[in-house]
Amino acid sequence: MRVVRRRSHRALRVGLVCPYSFDAPGGVQFHVRDLAEALQAAGHEVSVLAPSSEDTELPGVVTAAGRAVPVPYNGSVARLTFGPLTATRVRRWLEGGIGGHPFDIVHLHEPMVPSLSMLALWQATEPVVATFHTSQVRSRALQVAYPLVRQSLEKIAARIAVSEDARRTLVDHLGGDAVVIPNGVYTQVFASSPRRPEWTGTPGAPTIAFLGRLDEPRKGLAVLLQAVPTILDHVPGTRFLVAGRGGGVAAEVRELLGEHASSVEFLGGVTDAEKAELLASADLYVAPQTGGESFGIVLVEAMSAGSVVVASDLGAFQRVLDDGAAGALFHNGDPAHLATTVLTLLADSARRDSYQAHAADWVQRFDWSGVTEQVLAVYDMTLAADHAIGGDVVRRVMGLFPRQVGGDP
Amino acid sequence: MTWSEMALVVLGALAVGLLLAWRGAYRVDRLHRKVAASRIALDAQLVRRASSAVELAASGTLDPASAVLVADAAYTASDAGPVTSPAAALKMDGLGPARERAESGLTATLREAMGGPEAVRALLEGPAGEVVTGLADAWYRATLARRFHNEAVAQARRVRRLWYVRLFWLAGRTPMPRTVELDDALPHALEPSGG
Repeated sequence: MRVVRRRSHRALRVGLVCPYSFDAPGGVQFHVRDLAEALQAAGHEVSVLAPSSEDTELPGVVTAAGRAVPVPYNGSVARLTFGPLTATRVRRWLEGGIGGHPFDIVHLHEPMVPSLSMLALWQATEPVVATFHTSQVRSRALQVAYPLVRQSLEKIAARIAVSEDARRTLVDHLGGDAVVIPNGVYTQVFASSPRRPEWTGTPGAPTIAFLGRLDEPRKGLAVLLQAVPTILDHVPGTRFLVAGRGGGVAAEVRELLGEHASSVEFLGGVTDAEKAELLASADLYVAPQTGGESFGIVLVEAMSAGSVVVASDLGAFQRVLDDGAAGALFHNGDPAHLATTVLTLLADSARRDSYQAHAADWVQRFDWSGVTEQVLAVYDMTLAADHAIGGDVVRRVMGLFPRQVGGDP
Repeated sequence: MTWSEMALVVLGALAVGLLLAWRGAYRVDRLHRKVAASRIALDAQLVRRASSAVELAASGTLDPASAVLVADAAYTASDAGPVTSPAAALKMDGLGPARERAESGLTATLREAMGGPEAVRALLEGPAGEVVTGLADAWYRATLARRFHNEAVAQARRVRRLWYVRLFWLAGRTPMPRTVELDDALPHALEPSGG
């Protein structure tokens, strides 16, 4: 049931800014791409600004803002784009709008990540909406730069957090509040995905799927692998389908598992369609992530596809699984408990069915149709506030002069 | 220190002061504007919500006792002074205790009158479905608008506490903005794509 119907909006010109490169797939990039698509489907005009190298094939609406360089930031390596040339590109994009008409709304993603979004916020004179994705730990660098960004942050008319966890991070680190609008998923794409016979389990040989980078410890592959022997002791036919990039890990794992190695199949990187097929085919989807997750979009995708989710009991996962009503939770980082949970589920088809039934209903709240309406309601309120006093006088005066890089006086 | 050096120091201090004042004035102005604008947007949604509530009460789908109470709460909220004059629109000290109490009262009454998720579903599918949808729409937007408004107020208050803003009296006679505190929690079943 959906109550917040879209009122007859006029068509908006929306500029979306993504700080991370489209060269490498990632949650924020997918979100921006899907949001752009959903907004277009609702009849709005969209232009996306994102870092990308020239040879990457981009969806038509995306403007490439130049190559992203891998830089160490906040404890890991991020592909970001910055510098004076980029600032100029951002300014040109903002000035260009869509077809020569200025944007009605500029929607920035992760404005606190030192990349395109931060630069766009710095220079934007349009009404700004910002979405915060991560539950990020406060960095010392950000504290140094904070007085510089704080003024820009005041330009944000509406803040969105993608989850309760992301919102809490925001409240703790930046102060102020945000409305929670979850990440969207095209649930129908997953629900209607075909199965692959070779990935579909049988009662004697159930299949368990894992998705995520293999070489990133916090994705928790190690936890799953430690649970493998126990699971195989009870259900010898079980097959583990491990999808995700990460060089060199596969060989290492085969050595580690010895006799059990043949039960673990490495699929490598998968396409979107293959991912949907995998989630639709597998009996169980295991999400053993040990931390750093603010939402858990794959869990929603798995639920939409009809596989039963077994996830670590991170705060974000608890919420995305409706406190364990839409999927099973195990103690974070505890392979023994993971094995017990998996074995209980494999033995109890009634419980699997009840999880599936609840999940099918529950995921509707993450469907793009509803999520887009909520985002449009935010745009609506932002514009209402902007129009209420005839927009920004300073902006109109500034309009007589060329926009300076730096935006603020 | 010679006189010319002194003059240079004084000039430097003046320049820094001037720069701070200019930046401060710009920030204060922008934030005041934001506070006023977001308050107008919030007010508009609350007015919409109250008028939808009156429509709902008149639709005959609620029981008579609930209908009377909802209508009463809605009229109390709209009598408590929605923004009408331009001068009132630019005030920024919240919505006033009477209005906030009345809006919270309307929220409580509506929640009670609409009942649990099942009852709300029945209302949505019933003859007054359009009205309930409109009500939910305005209600959700009001919760958004209040968050954004309070956010703007918090920022404005922070900037107005800066020493140079106080020293140069950059906020002028504008009263200190106040957040709008009221109960606007949507019933679970009316949450967007919930239920």
